[in-house]
Amino acid sequence: MDHGNKKDAPLKTADLMESKCTRRSFLKGVSIAAAAGSAGLVTGGCGSSASSEEMGLKWEEFFKKNYRLMTHEEKDATVTRLERLAKLQRGVDVQMSNQEPINDVLYGYAFNITRCKGYMDCVEACVQENNLDRQSKTQYIRLFEMDPGQLDPTSGDGKYYHEVPVEDKFYMGVQCYHCENAPCIQACPTKATWREPDGIVVVDYDWCIGCRYCMAACPYWGRRFNWGEPVVPKEEINTKQHYLGNRMRMKGVMEKCTFCIQRTRQGKLPACVDSCPTGSRVFGNLLDPDSEIRFVLKNKKVFRFKEELGTDPKFWYFMD
Amino acid sequence: MKILTLLLSFILLPTVILLISQLAIARQGSVLERIHEADQPFDNMQIESAHQLSVKTVLAKESYQGGTFRVLARKDAISRYRCRVCHTKKTPQARDGALITHGDISINHGEGKNALTCIECHDRQDRDFLVDMQGQKIDFDHSYQLCGQCHFRPKRDWLGGAHGKRVTYWAGERVVMNCTSCHDPHSPAFKTKMPETYSLPLDE
Repeated sequence: MDHGNKKDAPLKTADLMESKCTRRSFLKGVSIAAAAGSAGLVTGGCGSSASSEEMGLKWEEFFKKNYRLMTHEEKDATVTRLERLAKLQRGVDVQMSNQEPINDVLYGYAFNITRCKGYMDCVEACVQENNLDRQSKTQYIRLFEMDPGQLDPTSGDGKYYHEVPVEDKFYMGVQCYHCENAPCIQACPTKATWREPDGIVVVDYDWCIGCRYCMAACPYWGRRFNWGEPVVPKEEINTKQHYLGNRMRMKGVMEKCTFCIQRTRQGKLPACVDSCPTGSRVFGNLLDPDSEIRFVLKNKKVFRFKEELGTDPKFWYFMD
Repeated sequence: MKILTLLLSFILLPTVILLISQLAIARQGSVLERIHEADQPFDNMQIESAHQLSVKTVLAKESYQGGTFRVLARKDAISRYRCRVCHTKKTPQARDGALITHGDISINHGEGKNALTCIECHDRQDRDFLVDMQGQKIDFDHSYQLCGQCHFRPKRDWLGGAHGKRVTYWAGERVVMNCTSCHDPHSPAFKTKMPETYSLPLDE
């Protein structure tokens, strides 16, 4: 929530060492801030380089509601604030959306394990689209190189780097399955993660406290944690963002695949589907009997990973 | 009496609570139940942001779920189309050899005695068209009609959406990739290559 403050922390230490202010006056400043109940806002006792506009925006951001409790006006206001903050802090012109789910749409996904060649275009496209941390090499998708007859990705090789496809191997992609009965949602103590009406499991990064209970609860390794401030080169930042999707995350929050919510709610395919050179990935509306995903479910041999857990994932594997 | 109370509080109550919560979950309906209930087609055209595609497409000569769909056009991508410009009755000059032969194309389509030659797909009389086994002329934009003669199972999956892919949008008018958008018709198998990126080892 107060990542700006945390980022400034090393600066404060430097200030202290240069004796620009004494330890006493620094602590005094901090205690006053704590007393005012706004420790997240005041950058310590030694003054701040942030502009007053930035401080004001951060103040308002700090006291906003959970996204699900916001009215339309409040959602618009926070999106406008975050766009302005992105401009002030990073110098990036972001177009942030808070587009609502489309009625009578439930997103579903199918993955063809016969066709996937393990090229990993999907992984790279996902990293670019969703502004994933380049430093820790965070990836939402993991491809496993599997032996024939195996259907459990843990038996496969998830860190291969050689010419693909290898003969007598097949490739299986694992990512968030957007379960209808998602254990991660039930595990969250702050209700910072929930399932949207169109089936996408999302995270309100500003309400996540980083306890990682959801990460422990997910049987599919679908969630990722930001151990540090995510690093994305300024020129590589995808500026078409969504509040619940690929907007910039902060240190200490959880993130996950959102079926590219910023794309799918505009009728586009997720980046992984769009970039797949083999057509192994099928995406569509489960509530539309004429959709491609429904054709796959009706006509192909499909299975879901760990279906016996009752998590009810909206992600099927199929073969030709 | 005491034992009964204990029994009630430690065994019966949790069971009842569990049952109620299970019922509540069941009432929400699983994905499969929701899918079975949904039998009304969704109006894909209502999503206004999914209309503009900057690539050239043609109306497919096949139907999809009773409706029409479009495929990516092919002819514009063929650098030397129209073929009739060179394929005339005139005798070719030897000095034009390097220019007018298709030396850059090597056919790797079909194995052994089933290996294909040019004229099995290209029309011998009219080089601007493909030709199927029954002698029907086929437009380059509709090559799926030709490929589907042998590859009828992939074609069936392609018509339904389990093979190939849509272009950019899941909504809006259905526009799908053509066979030749992904497969080189002269060498249709996918090549081996290095992956686009790599993943770090999983933390245990």
